[in-house]
Amino acid sequence: MAAPMEVAVCTDSTAQLWTCVVWELHSGANLLTYRGGQAGPRGLALLNGEYLLAAQLGKNYISVWELQRKDQLQQKIMCPGPVTCVTTAPNGLYVLAGIAENIYLWEVCTGNLLVILSRHYQDVSCLKFTGDSSHFISGSKDCLVLAWSLCSVLQVDPSRIPAPRHVWSHHTLPVTDVHCGFGGPLARVATSSLDQTVKLWEISSGELLLSVLFDVAVMAVTMDLAEHHMFCGGSDGSIFQVNLCARPAQREQSFQPEQEPGKVFRGHRNQVTCLSVSTDGSVLLSGSHDETVRLWDVQSKQCVRTVTLKGPVTNAAIVLAPVSMLSSDARPSLPLPRFNKHLLGAEHGDEPRRGGLTLRLGLHQQGSEPSYLGRLEQMQAVMCSTLEKGGQDQLRVRVSELEDEVRNLRKINRDLFDFSTHIITRPGK
Amino acid sequence: MTKKRKRQDDFQKVKLKVGKKKPRLENATVTNFKTKSIHLPEQLKEDGTLPTNNRKLNIKDLLSQMHHYNAGVKQSALLGLKDLLSQYPFIIDAHLSNILNEVAAVFTDKDANVRLAAVQLLQFLAPKIRAEQISPFFPLVSAHLSSAMTHITEGIQEDSLKVLDILLEQYPALITGRSSILLKNFVELISHQQLSKGLVNRDRSQSWILSVNPNRRLTSQQWRLKVLVRLSKFLQALADGSSRLRESEGLQEQKENPHATSNFIFINWKEHANDQQHIQVYENGGSQPNVSSQFRLRYLVGGLGAVDEGLSSPENLKGFIEIIIPLLIECWIEAVPPQLAASVGNGIEREPLQVMQQVLNIISLLWKLSKQHDETHKLESWLRKNYLTDFKHHFMSHFPYALKEITKHRRKETNKSMKNCTILSNNVDHLLLNLTLSDIMVSLANTSTLQKDSSWIEMIRKFVTETLEDGSGLNNKQLNRLLGVSWRLMQIQPNREASEALIKAVYTLYQQRGLLLPVRTLLLKFFSKIYQKEELRPYRLRYRSKLLSRWLAGLPLQLAHLGSRNPELSTQLIDIIHTAAARANKELLKSLQATSLRIYDPQEGAVVVLPAESQHRLVQLVYFLPSLPADLLSRLSRCCIMGRLSSNLATMLIGILYMRSSFSGWKYSVKDWLSEVDYFSFLFSTLTGFSKEELTWLQSLRGVPHVVQTQLSPVLLYLTDLDQFLHHWDVTEAVCHSLLVIPARSQSFDILQSAISKHLVALTVIPDSTAGCIFGVICKLLDHTCVVSESLLPFLASCCYTLLYFLLTLEKGEPEHLKKRDKLWGACVSILALLPRVLRLMLQSLRVNRVGPDELPVVGQLLRLLLQHAPLRTHMLTNAILVQQIIKNITTMKSGGVQEQWLTDLHYCFSVYITGHPQGPAALSTVY
Repeated sequence: MAAPMEVAVCTDSTAQLWTCVVWELHSGANLLTYRGGQAGPRGLALLNGEYLLAAQLGKNYISVWELQRKDQLQQKIMCPGPVTCVTTAPNGLYVLAGIAENIYLWEVCTGNLLVILSRHYQDVSCLKFTGDSSHFISGSKDCLVLAWSLCSVLQVDPSRIPAPRHVWSHHTLPVTDVHCGFGGPLARVATSSLDQTVKLWEISSGELLLSVLFDVAVMAVTMDLAEHHMFCGGSDGSIFQVNLCARPAQREQSFQPEQEPGKVFRGHRNQVTCLSVSTDGSVLLSGSHDETVRLWDVQSKQCVRTVTLKGPVTNAAIVLAPVSMLSSDARPSLPLPRFNKHLLGAEHGDEPRRGGLTLRLGLHQQGSEPSYLGRLEQMQAVMCSTLEKGGQDQLRVRVSELEDEVRNLRKINRDLFDFSTHIITRPGK
Repeated sequence: MTKKRKRQDDFQKVKLKVGKKKPRLENATVTNFKTKSIHLPEQLKEDGTLPTNNRKLNIKDLLSQMHHYNAGVKQSALLGLKDLLSQYPFIIDAHLSNILNEVAAVFTDKDANVRLAAVQLLQFLAPKIRAEQISPFFPLVSAHLSSAMTHITEGIQEDSLKVLDILLEQYPALITGRSSILLKNFVELISHQQLSKGLVNRDRSQSWILSVNPNRRLTSQQWRLKVLVRLSKFLQALADGSSRLRESEGLQEQKENPHATSNFIFINWKEHANDQQHIQVYENGGSQPNVSSQFRLRYLVGGLGAVDEGLSSPENLKGFIEIIIPLLIECWIEAVPPQLAASVGNGIEREPLQVMQQVLNIISLLWKLSKQHDETHKLESWLRKNYLTDFKHHFMSHFPYALKEITKHRRKETNKSMKNCTILSNNVDHLLLNLTLSDIMVSLANTSTLQKDSSWIEMIRKFVTETLEDGSGLNNKQLNRLLGVSWRLMQIQPNREASEALIKAVYTLYQQRGLLLPVRTLLLKFFSKIYQKEELRPYRLRYRSKLLSRWLAGLPLQLAHLGSRNPELSTQLIDIIHTAAARANKELLKSLQATSLRIYDPQEGAVVVLPAESQHRLVQLVYFLPSLPADLLSRLSRCCIMGRLSSNLATMLIGILYMRSSFSGWKYSVKDWLSEVDYFSFLFSTLTGFSKEELTWLQSLRGVPHVVQTQLSPVLLYLTDLDQFLHHWDVTEAVCHSLLVIPARSQSFDILQSAISKHLVALTVIPDSTAGCIFGVICKLLDHTCVVSESLLPFLASCCYTLLYFLLTLEKGEPEHLKKRDKLWGACVSILALLPRVLRLMLQSLRVNRVGPDELPVVGQLLRLLLQHAPLRTHMLTNAILVQQIIKNITTMKSGGVQEQWLTDLHYCFSVYITGHPQGPAALSTVY
């Protein structure tokens, strides 16, 4: 395979024939289907290119499939409540799930539930990781968007409650979707809300960069990889394209307005629930409550393909197909452990401690512990002061001591060498 | 004899008597005239090149006169300069460097009048020169200023303070940039350094002592007061300049980033889509490059001089505090000598009080400055270590005195003793003084040291609580301080009862009527801050203050009571309610639900009387209401159709209700969805656009110009205003969309048509907008799955005819109704095209023989237009016989008269479109 293939992964809420379907983006051919349960909105995630996770609509568990064994449900991750959204870290180490107003964070390699974050006041509606897994963004129905730093969340400090890095409270109605751009901690985050706006934020500074007001509530938002365009799916079925790098148009261009294809993709008859752009930014995938998934050509704003599903579309995403999805003989590199239902540390008697090493980041003590740089400087200072104090004599003594040492070592080495050559070259008896 | 006598008269000796006036001599010179000097206010010499003042002196002359040895000349030159510059302001720009050079030089002039004139000139100039303009010359000005401040002559020192006042007023940023020199000058103005050898080894804070100069005109206390006032002004400017957020101290909102709100791009989609707005997302965002970066090549307005750190570094600040605080304490002691402390209960003079006030002001400003640079609380602990004991000793020993003084004063007030008049005027000052002191002291305490400080903290707490409880007369500034202190007290004390008592005190204040808006705002902010802080805690640790929840639950009712009286206050209330509702606060939601009927009342509810921005928030608040009962929905629908919500907001409301309904698929957390029956009835009543009462009222209308009547149709048309019509049309769009996205199309259509036949079919007078909107909805909803009920069709047909009749009889003179034409015509034609049976029924109803002569041409024109309309043509063809019959009837009716143009046209159209058609019945030609 020369280049990784892009596939569309879609789910609908009725799931009559299958839970999740994977089809080839350009030909529309069905590649795979996964069976078992109905996936809820924002509840589909690929883990590490080996597993497929689907949060069940209104149920207390997350279904997990191995990508190549599509018929067999691998595991059900039991949760304390109905799962509203699920996402995985791009590096495959963590799984996040929104359950009611709490965010649960599991470690994939051990299956431990590391932390439960409860800073939202109402149901969490969407979760997204940054590209480098260093931060994640959560949007909720209490109109708040929180940006969390994974490191600070993971620090074990029972006395301190993990605080989000940024609290973005400019939305006035529930947040419907979050998209995290490219660039890790420097990325920009687009959030959409029922209050008819889409806002663009910067993770590094926490500033609001842009707010776009629409005529209808916005249910889905995404950006292309280069962040030239932002696509916003409205509750009336239109998809709006916002140009983020538009230059003021030349006056001459206004003479051929019909050549401009406009900025709206029209075709869906009901609210757009999910949007996704291909890696090259040429194709847009959209799923809607009118039970269709549409593929659009971004340049000309035409609908290229329409796939009709059996129910309202809950997830539709363009992903680069992992190897294990296409070749049947691939096996997961690691077996998936059982995911714990209870928080690590809150011990339960019935749970046997399995052997294993858990590494957690140490306490981050504020102020009291000097930084490494500071410690280095301190040591340097101590060294300098002793050197100055001792003066040249001490230095000379020390040098001669070291020279003696070196001489001694050389001698030992030579002896060893002589001894071994003597043994090796000794004629056998 | 007479001659002799005469002669004797000539030589008669004048007798001078003692006590009588000496008669005037005849030859005496009259000296009682006055002389006047001749003034030459203007020179005759006229210089054409440069503008001159009244005395015809140009700028060069005036500036050169400043070097004159005579003080009078210098003074007149300064006055002349002021005169000249006020006449020709452009000279300022051209000669700014020279002017400032010369004016600044006379700050240190020996003559008081000259200095006075210079200060006046500066006073006049400063507002005219912008900070950017003066910044290159500012090093010079400030050098002259500091040389004046350190001058050996007292008069110059005093006048230098006036100069400082002006500069502080106009160029706070520039003058604070020179803080390190100026602060030292301040210190030197009131004290001198002890250079005796015995003191060298002691630490430097002891080496400054207050100086007393007996030669001064003022008492040294007055003089110190003057200097201290300036110093506190200066520090205030410094604190303002360096603090990024200039909100009320102590009550800063916990925003994540104050910059975030300042410069983001706001885009309206419609304008963006029309290429009117463009987006350039910069690296740091915002419509302008961000300048909040720490890095600076040089100060933006600081001139070319070396960067002056001033008090911005903690070390410098520490140094300054070490110098100034002992001096301030000395001032304090001098104002309130310890030996008199026992008698201060009787009140203190105004002057010492002012000194005390300034001392505390300065300290509190220094604290504020120290907090700005103090991330790790190191400075705070340092301050605590060094000064707590001093402060406790000097200030706090007086603190109960202040309290005692006030209580005493109150008691005496009842006695109406004359002695207390002065204290009465000072009472307000006392309060502020005490508050400032509490502020300073409280900021020295923290949670860990609470045990040790409990004695004086308890004192402060008592004072604060008492002041709050009878705080009706508090002004904005005092309350701000007071709330700042209470906030800090609540923060350092995790004890629940203590904070509850404080909240209670604030709440009693809040409950008073007739508070001013800023005061009310401060209280609201205080409460919302406590609320938000509580919310930050995790569930288990969160305790619910009863008062706080009572306050919160009372907000919706207040909003409802407030009406349109105070939109700003309403906005604040709505903000808090919105935040709490979004966070699903149970008490608030309960009370919001209870008052929702009042808030969303279509007549005088808050949702209709407030400005658009608040309406927007209130409409969004509908989303968070726990349940939407039918009566609330009917009110909301009235709000939508009455036009007091703009059509955008109405659309938004309908969208929100759609989200709340079970059709949206949006998981709503609260169990009860909006029930489907209610949702449909809301949509239908919004679609109708008129309430039942209005419709029944309309039925009685006859023969009014607003009602259109035809002979052929039983339905009468009521003409609505254009505004109402357009609003209704816009709202219908939104309703249509909500109906369209409901999955079971045929069922929703059935519901709609049963509603129409139940509520509208029986009516005889129908508003034109309602008719048009119903046509529009039916057209949009109708698809192959829907079955139109039989009972509806005749109604639609007669409505359609009346509408078409109205459109055709519309005269050019009614521009208002002309705008409706296109919309209504489109609706009529599309329903005729979609439902051929309606067309057939309508044609059947055209019994021309019953029509009067004036309606006949209209029928003819209508038929012609229908024939010409392309989408209808096939349907007309199927009804060709009917059409033919009608035309025949018309022709027979008109046979008596002259063949008119419209009839000819009709015949022509008929022959072209129907007869000309291959499938058309061939027998038609026989008619003619």
